[in-house]
Amino acid sequence: MTPIIRFDQVSVTVHEKTILADISFALFPGEKAVFYGKSGAGKSSVLRTLLGLHPITLGTIYFQEQPLTPLSVQTIRSCTAYIGQEPMMGAENVRDALLLPFQFKTYRDHRPTEAQLIEVLHRLQLPVAILSQDSNRISGGEKQRIALARGLLLGKKLYLLDEVTSALDAESKQAVFDVFSDPQLTVLSVAHDPEWLERCGIIFELEAGRLTQVKRHGNS
Amino acid sequence: METLDIELPRMALLYGLCLLPWLLLWLIGLRLSRDIGISILRMSIQLALVGIYLKMLFNLNNPWLNGLWILIMLLVADLSILRRAGLKVRYFAVATFMAIASSILFSTAYLVILVIQPAYYYDARYIVPLAGMILGNCLQGNVIALERFYSALRKNENEYTTFLMLGATRWEAVRPYFRDAVKAAINPTIASMATMGLVSLPGMMTGQILGGSEPWLAVKYQIAIMVCIFTSTTIASIINLKLSLAIAFNAFDVFKDEVIEKR
Repeated sequence: MTPIIRFDQVSVTVHEKTILADISFALFPGEKAVFYGKSGAGKSSVLRTLLGLHPITLGTIYFQEQPLTPLSVQTIRSCTAYIGQEPMMGAENVRDALLLPFQFKTYRDHRPTEAQLIEVLHRLQLPVAILSQDSNRISGGEKQRIALARGLLLGKKLYLLDEVTSALDAESKQAVFDVFSDPQLTVLSVAHDPEWLERCGIIFELEAGRLTQVKRHGNS
Repeated sequence: METLDIELPRMALLYGLCLLPWLLLWLIGLRLSRDIGISILRMSIQLALVGIYLKMLFNLNNPWLNGLWILIMLLVADLSILRRAGLKVRYFAVATFMAIASSILFSTAYLVILVIQPAYYYDARYIVPLAGMILGNCLQGNVIALERFYSALRKNENEYTTFLMLGATRWEAVRPYFRDAVKAAINPTIASMATMGLVSLPGMMTGQILGGSEPWLAVKYQIAIMVCIFTSTTIASIINLKLSLAIAFNAFDVFKDEVIEKR
């Protein structure tokens, strides 16, 4: 089996400040990994670098063993769902936000049916009525779940999650855990939440842009 | 029908009119004498120089010289657009120049060669004022287009990135800001066409009437110039933004901060 993501001695310097230094790790399909560390340790930068949002100073990132280049970045982005702490909806109401990616050429022919929309909302413990709500009026936790629903509708297999359970109540959190108990889905996340850490098979500890410790649980 | 000349003593009388607003401003406690004086002086010197070189341009009426004049105007407009839009000249000078040059040359040529059809298409009397007027308005539109687009992009960088992450190409991800910017650029022209003649008499038409033209002829020229301004502003702002997209982003579609002039 080949890794889905592999960092090979990756360093990133932005405005003469080193944000990642000599990071190497591999993630295999179906694995759930989390980056853990103080704020400013570079956790989110790992996710953003993988998406081509920070230029790599040294080393190489491989996605399905293909190096990250301007040409391959589109593939990585189309296979990946990135969900930040306060996801942008990008549309006036929730329905349009969910359907937003389907107006882009890549997904134009994969528009989900109403039944599929409702099904995904149920999975994430969101009421159907939220579809007609104004995007500015929904809570941070709801936004995160809408962003997650968008990833599921797009059939993404790799999820980059930045503190995705931080704004959720116990019930919604459970719904998110249930989604990611699917062994098909690969997760690379950033979190502080002990419950989330417990559910991740691999814990990477970051300190000042360096990988200081890797812990593996047997229960994933 | 010749326009009546204003002789020097009567020009002095004209400047005298400024004493009235100056006195009023002084009475209400606004100390603007310096600003007013400088402004009036600058206007007079600048226009006198324009008068001198226009007179020369008209006398020689040489196609190369007229072309050179248009080229200089385009270069000045290019720099002025980028400076006012807050973008670095070193990155965008060529793109902006190509956008305004192509749209100005196209619409001026269309108007002069196909519509007005003077004996010599390079006649300074037509191309100099027409190209100048079209360019002046086109300049405004391009400043608005670039300024709006890049400030919207920076303000909504998160949203732009979200679009990219959701599978949008660079073009798909910037499209909402692109459309808003073009709309903002052409809106003033559309609005001014809609109110033309109602709110104020347009400057060019007034000038032609004073110069002795039939009002009907002046009206036709005014319509011609408005149509050309509308056309060239739309073309130039779209080309300008489109070309800038290839400059302001890196190969990973991330916006390059360094293209913005830090103020």
